[in-house]
Amino acid sequence: MMATDDGPDIWTVTITIPKDVDRDDAGRTFEIEVSADETILAAARREGVWLPADCQQGWCTTCAGRVVDGEVTHPHARRYHDEDREAGFALLCTARPRSDVTVVTDQYDELLAFRAKHDRPPGNAKFNDD
Amino acid sequence: MSDDKTHAAGGVEPGDTSKRVGMEVIRERGVDPEELREKLIDAIGAEFTTYYYYTNLRMHLAGEEDYKEITEDARLEDRAHFELVVPRVYELEGSLPNDIRDFADRASCPDAEVPTPMDDEGGFDTSELEVEDILEVLLEAERCAIRTWSEICDMTREADPRTYDMAQRILNEEIDHEAWFIELLSKERDDEINPAGHFARGEPGDAPYSTNNRFNDSA
Repeated sequence: MMATDDGPDIWTVTITIPKDVDRDDAGRTFEIEVSADETILAAARREGVWLPADCQQGWCTTCAGRVVDGEVTHPHARRYHDEDREAGFALLCTARPRSDVTVVTDQYDELLAFRAKHDRPPGNAKFNDD
Repeated sequence: MSDDKTHAAGGVEPGDTSKRVGMEVIRERGVDPEELREKLIDAIGAEFTTYYYYTNLRMHLAGEEDYKEITEDARLEDRAHFELVVPRVYELEGSLPNDIRDFADRASCPDAEVPTPMDDEGGFDTSELEVEDILEVLLEAERCAIRTWSEICDMTREADPRTYDMAQRILNEEIDHEAWFIELLSKERDDEINPAGHFARGEPGDAPYSTNNRFNDSA
């Protein structure tokens, strides 16, 4: 953490892009500074790290990631559940760091399956018509 | 058909109705048409639920006739967006969910509910409902739509001009809508003048970009 006199705390967020994603930055790791009142997605895009997202309101789950170390909070997510948090999922569009954090991105398919297993949308709604 | 001059078919055999060249050309350009189709269903799910929720939001702007009319424009245009893209879903060998609950659950934007709890009799508790709260819900719904259609523009640019054309026309109207609600919320909540830069549509729900190619008469 970087101490700041007047503003919010600033945390180091390590972003790992899985090797199997279809983007030029597959397999890369980025380290960015994110203030406590900023979302990881917004900070990443500001720093030129393009992460997937859609609604940016913590609803659609396009931005799903997994927290492998550290703590985040989702004060403004519209659809984020306790079991998501307990399983380590985060919605990076609304996730704000509360410590130094390491996240793995591109967990949309995994969260979708997890939500379906727990009978939470959009899980089954996305699978019912396949 | 001449024996020595067959149709140019690419990867689709002449007369094969099990495949669509309209999808294969997208795939050849690096976009998965099935993934795109599913994203379109999510996006028009949001347009459809927004159309529904805006009905309620408009109703609760009681006594604010100008706000109601602008909300009605946005409401009808969101329905127009749904109508515009539904055929594209079928062209891409998809369909709407049979169960409307699935359609709503997979909508790519949050439910735009009236920002007030229900009362003991199952109605809306409007005792503390403020106009500015409704305008904020409307604004954030439009912002979500802008993000969604921007994503679809990104996904289809240089790969699927037909979907791109639809998405960019819808995006034009969603950006109009955001400007309207920024203007109204700024005035209502903050007493600030923050012009949208537009005047009213010609008719309620005119949808100047998404129903046809006319330009916005009021711009």
